[in-house]
Amino acid sequence: MGFEQIVFYIFSAILVFAAGMVISVRNPVFAALFLVLAFFTSAVIWILLEAEFLALTLVLVYVGAVMVLFLFVVMMLDINLAVLKRGFRRYLPVGFVVAFIMIVQLVLIVGPEQFGLDKVESPTPRAADYSNTEELGRVLYTVYVYPFEIASVILLVAIIAAIALTLRKRKHPRFMSPEQQIKVRREDRLRIVKMKSETKL
Amino acid sequence: MVENYLPILVFIVLGILFGIAPILAGYMMGPSKPDSVKLSPYECGFEAFEDARMKFDVRFYLVAILFIIFDLEIAFLFPWAVVLDEIGMFGLVAMAVFLGILVIGFIYEWKKGALEWE
Amino acid sequence: MLEFIEQSLAWLPDGVVALVIIILKILAIIAPLMAAVAYLTLAERKIIGYMQVRIGPNRVGPWGLLQPVADGVKLMLKEIILPSSANRFLFILGPILTFAPALAAWSVMPFSDELVLADVNAGLLYILAITSMGVYGVIIAGWASNSKYAFLGALRSAAQIVSYEIAMGFAIVGVLLAGGSLNIGDIVNAQQGSLVHWFWLPLLPLFLVYFISGVAETNRSPFDVAEGESEIVAGFHVEYSAISFSIFYLAEYANMILIAMLAVLMFLGGWLSPFQGIPFLEDWFAWIPGIVWLLGKTAVFCFLYLWFRATFPRYRYDQIMRLGWKVFIPITIVWLMVVGGAVVAQLGPWFD
Repeated sequence: MGFEQIVFYIFSAILVFAAGMVISVRNPVFAALFLVLAFFTSAVIWILLEAEFLALTLVLVYVGAVMVLFLFVVMMLDINLAVLKRGFRRYLPVGFVVAFIMIVQLVLIVGPEQFGLDKVESPTPRAADYSNTEELGRVLYTVYVYPFEIASVILLVAIIAAIALTLRKRKHPRFMSPEQQIKVRREDRLRIVKMKSETKL
Repeated sequence: MVENYLPILVFIVLGILFGIAPILAGYMMGPSKPDSVKLSPYECGFEAFEDARMKFDVRFYLVAILFIIFDLEIAFLFPWAVVLDEIGMFGLVAMAVFLGILVIGFIYEWKKGALEWE
Repeated sequence: MLEFIEQSLAWLPDGVVALVIIILKILAIIAPLMAAVAYLTLAERKIIGYMQVRIGPNRVGPWGLLQPVADGVKLMLKEIILPSSANRFLFILGPILTFAPALAAWSVMPFSDELVLADVNAGLLYILAITSMGVYGVIIAGWASNSKYAFLGALRSAAQIVSYEIAMGFAIVGVLLAGGSLNIGDIVNAQQGSLVHWFWLPLLPLFLVYFISGVAETNRSPFDVAEGESEIVAGFHVEYSAISFSIFYLAEYANMILIAMLAVLMFLGGWLSPFQGIPFLEDWFAWIPGIVWLLGKTAVFCFLYLWFRATFPRYRYDQIMRLGWKVFIPITIVWLMVVGGAVVAQLGPWFD
C-alpha cells in the first residue's frame, strides 16, 4: 500500500465521520463546524485526484465564504433546538422508508454496474509542472464561454435576490456621508453675532 | 504533482500541533485556582444580565452573502488571469462581458444602499 | 547537511526518511518565523516608543533585547481561564484555528530561487484559500466566549475580514495577469530586468489596495475596530488569558509578516536585487544573496505596519466598510480590465 492510499483512507474515514456528525450532532454550531471539516477533507481527496484548482477553490469558496455565512446564521439566530427535535421519534419510521427508497434509487443508478475501480480509471499521475488551472482556463473561456456568461447572470440574480430579501432601511438612519462632512465650510457652522455689551443697571 | 502537496499536508498537521502544544504547556505550567467571580464573563463590573448571544443586524448577513458572490467571481478570474496571454482578445471580451454583468449588480447594490453602513 | 541526515537515517524505510526531512525543513521555516514574530513585537514597542519620544522597553537584557523571552515565559506561567459560561471545546479550538492557517500559509513561500518547501503550481491560490480559514478562529473564539464584547468584536472582525478579502483577491488576480502564473517563484522571475520591471509600476493601484487590505485583513491599526479598546475592550479575545491569548497575537504577527513578504514577492521583485540593470551598481552588489534582499524589503513593510499604528487615528466602522466596498472594489475591477488589455496588447516592458 503506497503512501497515497494511506492518506486517502485516513481522509476518507475523517470525511465519512464528519459527514455523519453533521446530521447527528445536537448543537447546530458543531454541525456547521463538522461540515467545514468535511469540505476540508474532501479538498484533500480532490488533490489526490489531481484536481488542484477545484480543491483549492472548494476551500476558498465553501470553507472560506459559504460556511462563514452558515456559521453566522446558526450562531446568531438562536434556533430553539427543543422545538426542532420534537416529533423526532414520531417521524422516524417515515424517515426510514424515505431513506430506504432513496438508497435503492441511488444503487440502481450509480450501483456497481456503472461505478467501480474497473469502470473509472484512476487519473494518470502528472508531472510536477502540470497546471490544472491553466488547462481549465484554456477551455472555460473559449469552448464553454456561453455557460460561463450564464454563470454571471446567475450571480447577478443572486445579488438582486439577496438585497431584495434582506435589505431593510432604518427609520432613523444615523449614517453620515464622509463627502458632506469634508465639504463643510466655516460659514455653514459658525455665525458671528455682534452684540452690544450689557450695561450695568 | 500530488507529491508536491505532501509537505503542505505535513505543514498543516504541524501547524495544528504547534497551536495545541503551547496551550497544553500553559495548562501544565500555569496555576489553576478558579473561582466563580474569576470565571464570570467580563461586563464592566456588572453581572451579565442577559445571554450574550443576541440577534443582530441583518446587514451582517447581507455582507456575508455579497462576499460569497464576489468570492465566486474571484474564483472565476483565477484561471482566466493565468491563461489570458494564450486566449487573447476573445478571452478578454468574454471576461469583460462577465464582469460587465456583475458590475450591473454592483451598481444596483450601490444605488439600493446595500453598501451603506448606517 | 541534508545528505548527512539522510545517511544517518539510512536504516529507516525510505518513506520515513523523506518524512523526517520534510519535518526538519518545516521546522527550519517555523523557528525563524517565530523568532521574527517575537522580535517584531519588541520592534513595535521600541519603534512606537521612539515615535512618541519614549525609549520603550529597556530593562530586560541589553536594550531590552530579552523582553520577548521574558514576555513568553510570563504568559506561559499565567493561569488559563476558562469562563464558566463558555463552550469549553470551542473556546480552546478558537486560538488553534487562528494559529494553524497562519503557519500553514508559509508552506508555499519561496525564500529564493531554489529555497522553497512546496513548489506547487497553485501557490497563490493556496495562500488565499488557507488564509481565508483564519476567520473561523475569530468567529469561534467570539461565540464560544459567550461574552457581549467578544461577540461584538467577532462580528465586526469577521465582516471586516471578508470585505477586504474581496479587494485582496482582485489585487492578486491583477498580479496573476501580469505574471501569467499562479506559482510565486514564476511571478518573481517574471519581474526580472530592473526596478521598473517590477510589478509595482504597472499595478500601482492594485499594489496600494493590496497592502492596505492586508493591514485591514490582519486587523491592524488604523483598522483595528475589532479590538477598539475604548468601545469593546479587546474584541473577540477579551475572555482569553495567558498563552491562549498570546496565540492570537502570534498568529496576527505571523500574518503581518506573511502579507509583507507577499507584497514584496508580488510587487517588488522578491529576491531580485534593486540594482539589476544598472551598469556598475549591479556588479558591486552582486555578491549579496537574494534572500537578504527579500528579508530586507519585507522588513520595510513590517516597519510600515508599525508606522501606520503610530500615525493614523482609528477608522470608524462605517468608514472601513465604505473604503473596502465602495473604493477598493471599483478601483480593482477597473484596473483589472486595464491590465487585461495591456496583457493582450503585449505592452512592454512588462507584458511582452
